[in-house]
Amino acid sequence: MQKKSMTIKRLCSSLLFLALLVLVWQAVYSLGTGPLGWWKPYALPSPLGVVRSLGKMAGNGTLLQASACSLRRVLIGFAISLVIGTALGLLVSSSGYFNRNLKPLLNGIQSLPSVCWVPFAILWFGLGEASILFVIVIGSTFSVSLAIENAIRTVPPIYVKAAQTMGAGKLSLYGRVIWPAALPGVLAGLKQSWSFAWRALMSGEVMSAYVGLGYTLMSGRDMADINQVTAVMLVIILVGVLVDKLVFSNLEKHALKKRGLSS
Amino acid sequence: MALEIKNISRTFEGSKKETLRDISLTIEKGEFVCIVGPSGCGKSTLLNLIAGLDTPTGGEICLDGRKISGPGADRVVMFQEHALFPWLNVLENVKFGMKMMKLSEKEQNSRAEHYLKLVKLWEFKNYRIHEISGGMRQRTALARALCLDGPVLLMDEPFSALDKQTTNKLRADLERIWEETGKTIVFVTHSVEEAVFLANRIVVLSDNPGCIKDVFQVDLPRPRHNDAVEFLEVRHKILTCVEREVEKFAKEEYDH
Ligand SMILES: Nc1ncnc2c1ncn2[C@@H]1O[C@H](COP(=O)(O)OP(=O)(O)O)[C@@H](O)[C@H]1O
Ligand SMILES: [Mg+2]
Repeated sequence: MQKKSMTIKRLCSSLLFLALLVLVWQAVYSLGTGPLGWWKPYALPSPLGVVRSLGKMAGNGTLLQASACSLRRVLIGFAISLVIGTALGLLVSSSGYFNRNLKPLLNGIQSLPSVCWVPFAILWFGLGEASILFVIVIGSTFSVSLAIENAIRTVPPIYVKAAQTMGAGKLSLYGRVIWPAALPGVLAGLKQSWSFAWRALMSGEVMSAYVGLGYTLMSGRDMADINQVTAVMLVIILVGVLVDKLVFSNLEKHALKKRGLSS
Repeated sequence: MALEIKNISRTFEGSKKETLRDISLTIEKGEFVCIVGPSGCGKSTLLNLIAGLDTPTGGEICLDGRKISGPGADRVVMFQEHALFPWLNVLENVKFGMKMMKLSEKEQNSRAEHYLKLVKLWEFKNYRIHEISGGMRQRTALARALCLDGPVLLMDEPFSALDKQTTNKLRADLERIWEETGKTIVFVTHSVEEAVFLANRIVVLSDNPGCIKDVFQVDLPRPRHNDAVEFLEVRHKILTCVEREVEKFAKEEYDH
């Protein structure tokens, strides 16, 4: 009971904060484009304009179509990243040689913003689906492999020892001990990989898509509709956060709870 | 013939001193041997070598004439920390080793039931590891080790993290199980009292480098009582031996 009223209180104060933020935004817009004349009206989005734009795009189906298309792309790309990244991660964590030599490389490539790969993508795959997928895959694969490597490295050695003294072979060791022991760490790491994939998708879509959230964003720019640009940005944030919360946070919470690691 | 430890030494990389030097010991089948010594003298190192989790820098260890070259289910280890898997429940944990041995599901279930009942945890078979107490965890680990029915059981201070009452109970359980199954048990402890309670033979290790200081045969009748005169005499004799090794260590013992 106490706890519930606490959360409601917190929620109210968060909403109040947001409302205040919107109010400030509206004030800056009104003053800045009006009496102060700092901006041309078309150069600054207004809360009302963004809401109108959102309503319009929701009404004519653009938003749903764009979101669905983007999500589909990122899911395919992320799935490919999971496969390649897991393989790389296992390679790097099972062999000292690759751990010493390949891991620093992975770390290096990982730090490269995915937009840097766009020229390659266009050169190799042209403008289209394949090049977007390429950017997503290359933008998140290394993060996946590092997440896997990190999670495996931090598995308590005692689990492995215990399993070995019970006669576990290499395969069982990985499948039945190291993997389940690493799972919470893997999920925590994948959250970050997901955000990399989502950002990479936008880099790809902004360059070479004809449909999708990134494309809708750019078409807003082309029509000089700053409200549409802002509206799409909000949707991009929302979708990214929703997937993070609904998918990864839930999975992680479930895994932790099963192991008695959180209440 | 059972477990032969022949001139074992172990020096860890990066350290100049030997952790273990020239340890030789033959442990007969069905014996209950306790290894005592001040902390840091190399007891766990020795046990890990027997387990095959570590390789000696000199000498060799043989079980029934075969040289030990890696870990195996014929020498299950029970660690100080329970080392149970938190993603499995009590029953699944106990069945883990038997799965590795590829026993039939029926055999797994019947053995798991038998040993979980033996350690009085059958009612808790569906509990998760974080839902049971420290003593219950060690009992689960014991059941898990016993299920494999190997000839040798290696135990590294398995009860040292538990309260006195639980420890006493588990010692008595272990003694009973040892008498019933006739396993060879190598039991590491820093408590001389525990060693006198359990062992046929007590090996005292000295510190720096770890080598065998003395070996005591303990022929007290079982079950042993830690307030009997004979018990206290044996305990005193061994404590004096260990005491010379490290004074602080002995003091801790008397404080109990
Ligand atoms: N993996 C290792 N690497 C380096 N030194 C170690 C390692 N394991 C143990 N040692 C050293 O060996 C000595 C004995 O350790 P240990 O066998 O754990 O002692 P005990 O179990 O008797 O308390 C300690 O001084 C410890 O620092
Ligand atoms: Mg130790």
